[in-house]
Amino acid sequence: MLECRNIQKHYGGVAALKGVNWKLLPGEVHALCGENGAGKSTLARILCGITAPDDGEILLEGHAVNWPGPQAARQAGLGIILQELDLFAHLSIAENLAIGNARLEDGAWVSPSALNDAAHPLLRSVGLELDPTLLLERLSVSQWQLVAIARVLGLDAKIIFMDEPTSALTDDAVERLFGLIRQLKERGVAIVYVSHKMNEIFRICDRVSVMRDGEMIATATCAATSIDQVIQQMVGRVIATTRREKLSGTGQTLLEAHEISTRKLRQVSFTLSRGEILGVAGLVGSGRSEVGRVLFGISPITDGTITLEGNLYEPYDPHDAVAQGIALVPEDRQKEGLIPGMSIRQNTTLASLPKYSRSSWISRAEEVAASTEALADCRTKFADQELPIRSLSGGNQQKVLIGKWLLTHPKICFFDDPTRGIDIGAKDDIYRLLAELAGKGLGIIWVSSELPELLANAHRILVLHEGRCLGILDAATATQEDIMRLATGHHAARS
Amino acid sequence: MISRVFARIFLVLFGVGLIAGCTSQSKPYRYLVVFSQCNNSEPYRAAQNAAMQKLWEEQPDVRLVVMDAQQDSVRQIAQIETAIRMKPQLLIVAPNERAPLTEVMKQAMEAHIPVLCLERDIVEPYYTSWIRVDNRAIGRIIGQYVLDYLTKKYGEPRGNIVEIAGLKGVEGETNRKLGAHDIWDAYPKIKTVTEAVANWSQSLAKDRMTEILSAVPQIDVVYGRNDPMAMGAYLAAREQGRDKEMIFVGIDGLAGEAGGVRKVQEGLLAATCIYPLCVDKAVEIGTKILRDPTFDPDKVYTISSELVTSANAATVYK
Amino acid sequence: MIDKFWNQLKHHGQPFIGLVLILILGTLLSPRATDGTIVFLSPGNLTDVLLQQTEIGIIALAMTFVIIGAGIDLSVGSVLAFSACVSALMMMVWNPHGPTMLQIGVAISASLLGGALIGALNGLVITRIRLQPFVMTLAMMIGVRGFTKWLTGNVNVDLGFGAIPSGQFAELFSSKAFAISLWFILAIVAHLLLTRTVYGRYLRAIGENERAAAYTGLPVRGVRLAAYIGCGTLAALAGLIHAARSHQGNPNDGVGYELDAIAAVVIGGTALAGGRGSIVGTVTGTLVLGLLTNVLRLHMVDSNLELMIKAVIIIAAVWLQRRSTGVHGDL
Repeated sequence: MLECRNIQKHYGGVAALKGVNWKLLPGEVHALCGENGAGKSTLARILCGITAPDDGEILLEGHAVNWPGPQAARQAGLGIILQELDLFAHLSIAENLAIGNARLEDGAWVSPSALNDAAHPLLRSVGLELDPTLLLERLSVSQWQLVAIARVLGLDAKIIFMDEPTSALTDDAVERLFGLIRQLKERGVAIVYVSHKMNEIFRICDRVSVMRDGEMIATATCAATSIDQVIQQMVGRVIATTRREKLSGTGQTLLEAHEISTRKLRQVSFTLSRGEILGVAGLVGSGRSEVGRVLFGISPITDGTITLEGNLYEPYDPHDAVAQGIALVPEDRQKEGLIPGMSIRQNTTLASLPKYSRSSWISRAEEVAASTEALADCRTKFADQELPIRSLSGGNQQKVLIGKWLLTHPKICFFDDPTRGIDIGAKDDIYRLLAELAGKGLGIIWVSSELPELLANAHRILVLHEGRCLGILDAATATQEDIMRLATGHHAARS
Repeated sequence: MISRVFARIFLVLFGVGLIAGCTSQSKPYRYLVVFSQCNNSEPYRAAQNAAMQKLWEEQPDVRLVVMDAQQDSVRQIAQIETAIRMKPQLLIVAPNERAPLTEVMKQAMEAHIPVLCLERDIVEPYYTSWIRVDNRAIGRIIGQYVLDYLTKKYGEPRGNIVEIAGLKGVEGETNRKLGAHDIWDAYPKIKTVTEAVANWSQSLAKDRMTEILSAVPQIDVVYGRNDPMAMGAYLAAREQGRDKEMIFVGIDGLAGEAGGVRKVQEGLLAATCIYPLCVDKAVEIGTKILRDPTFDPDKVYTISSELVTSANAATVYK
Repeated sequence: MIDKFWNQLKHHGQPFIGLVLILILGTLLSPRATDGTIVFLSPGNLTDVLLQQTEIGIIALAMTFVIIGAGIDLSVGSVLAFSACVSALMMMVWNPHGPTMLQIGVAISASLLGGALIGALNGLVITRIRLQPFVMTLAMMIGVRGFTKWLTGNVNVDLGFGAIPSGQFAELFSSKAFAISLWFILAIVAHLLLTRTVYGRYLRAIGENERAAAYTGLPVRGVRLAAYIGCGTLAALAGLIHAARSHQGNPNDGVGYELDAIAAVVIGGTALAGGRGSIVGTVTGTLVLGLLTNVLRLHMVDSNLELMIKAVIIIAAVWLQRRSTGVHGDL
């Protein structure tokens, strides 16, 4: 159905794609895997007309095509859901769904009611029960992703590219997506599934292609290969995916949350001990990030108390929270974590700057020393501290952010989906890092949508459902089904 | 990088344009005379500029440069500072305000540049000569005219007067007011009902007068401290159909179609007092300073003026 | 060492190129004085330009901070007039027998304090009530101007001359040595504050990505407030110099100064969006504007043409800067 031959692409002096040959069969679900930087996103964008290749040709149903832009590709029946969701925060859900949709854009006059009517079935199919007139900026990251998926569904595409579609989704939403994919497959739509997640790929895809360093390494049917083999092809080396060894021994109680209520949470209680990793699981919108915002002083508490080391903890704002030893690594690196124009060093020392200064005058030597140490502790890969932080990969940026908080010597660190959009090698590093931190006596709260990740690394797992805590499971004995059951609102079968 | 190239080309063209736009200075001259005018847009001052140009042009070895400060004292200070750097042989200044310009004219004197202070004055006498008109005397002339008119109208000295004032703090404004009041204050029934400030501008005077007309029912005389302001008041009154109720007097009496003398001829203004441009005298003294090294100018030169009414307007008009 | 120098030139390159260009143009086009010297380059003329730009220059220093913090302050022109009038009033009108040196000191302090309070009001409303900086400072621009006119009865307040204290004040504050040195000392302090201190780093982080800065625990409101207070105070200081130079407190002065200051900042390479900028750039921008005006004035170019040319320069400068990216210059 879709074929490309000898596609090449250069960015500056770096070769992103080095002569890629690839075929997509009609009606198949085809996975594209590779580490970050392997070229999968670039290939997907070229095939959808968003970027033009430097060399090579693309054939659609046997005919060579040359798209001047994404509009042309869209009209030819190709749709793409990008990793950096190209939605508009200031527009409503319905308006976002309508953009690029030729049917709805017919004629100069667009009626809001027509948009909203068109939006309902799309939203239902992805399981979002929201008012289509809501502005997008009010939604969470996971909800954005669902809207992006809904939009592509509205385009009647024959070939759909999905670039990391489940990176912000919880298992529940993932199931619904898979159902959708199966439906589309029955209608003859071919789907290209670009992802890191092996489990998903092997569940839903027919064939899998592996890319590495801009080259297409291998293509096979999922039946004929295995996760380990694919990973090996991706990375070029063997990596174990078994459960890691957890450091035992949790110490005294560090934090005690008692019946906390906020706008989103309802009477949530839990404790956190020194050296403990507490995982937080739940569906989209269940309030996981809200827990972090409460601890960090961003969301006000309407009821309940928190005690930190025995004393009442009522943070006034993040500044206050930091002073009392709390750290927050937020969900959205770009918008809430980094200062993109600043250097790696400057970002690393930003939270702890007063320590290297005397009456506001910064001591360059002290600052550089601290930053070097923090970057090394986190095993961050970088060329020069003075380069802008934009020059780092996602994984290394995350490590810088973690290093930033380490320099404040916090007592408690809240990580909100720290491994989202990060390749396997870097993920591994971060797991190791968090375990080390726990070993040093920090209390860690870890929100994640990847249940295997939590089960492998956390001591206990707090499960939230619509703002309520339905259970705190022991990670050593719990299963994914146990977590899922609580997350969807069913109480535990065993007592 | 293309825009970089464009930007460079643009800058070069700009530079060339700048060069082309500036007048060349190849004409040889022996004397540089700089005239710092406070505001070209007043008709009185435009007339001064025209007279300056005409008179100095008669001396081919003199280059005259006129600077316009647009009624901004800060700008005039900067312009005079620049003028000093040009090292002129003569500097003539019509100061915008008294206090701000004092310091910089002192600097000009300290740089050994002869300074003529034209018509308005400054706080301290930092100038070679001040060529002035006796504004107080003019005020008295107008005051007397108004007194005579009111006495004739009512059989006794009484009436309502609206005064339209120029820029406060300028000597001319102060003295023209004082002069008139020298005459009127003796008669308690001659009252100044209100005084509005219009900064010598005709349009501002018209606005102010419009406001006053709605507030004051009975007006006999409008005393505009210069002709444009008196005219502005006249136009406002005419718009409201009340121009026949009162007379309008001004000061300046400039020549030409737009000047006060013509207006008196046409009957729009009742009277005006010729306010000499002072330029003739300035050029006369200035020329002597340039050419005669032994010349010792007086500190102050006073020029007399003349009342213009419908009686003598035709003969005075130029 | 040489490497560092070239690095600086690259980061702050554009404004410097403009400065050099103006200097060259000015020299080439300069009229000759009657004794043959190049007027443009004469030390008298160059120091004239510096003195003429001192008020705008000082305001622009503080404006740089506000703009880097992703804000703007349109009220500075009115604050300048306010400060000039308050000090003139305190020295001359509310002191029937003429002020003593002590009272002059009080007048100066009162003006500066007034400016600081206006800045604080701007800052508090902007950071607490979250009113947009443009709107709030625009309102203050109008309000402070009205207040100043009311205070003076819309009349200029002249300062004294000669040996009396108010005359002394005027002499000192308008002297080239004092005013220009003051400007440059403030510029050095501002530069160090911006590049070497915790405050400066915080300001740039907040200006670039306020959300991330807040999530890093930075005192966002306090930093912004300080920038506005600084702006108000420095505008008041400029007002004192202005009063000395024009020898009066004029409630109608300072109009448009905020735009000149912003123009200087922008030409110097600071982006209005916030996060990046430098004091060196601002000073360069101020000099470019001042020298340009000087070149035009030396050629008796009509003042209205002057304004049009200024507009062209501003557009050109910002256009040239769009290409430059880079890390926050930290030196």
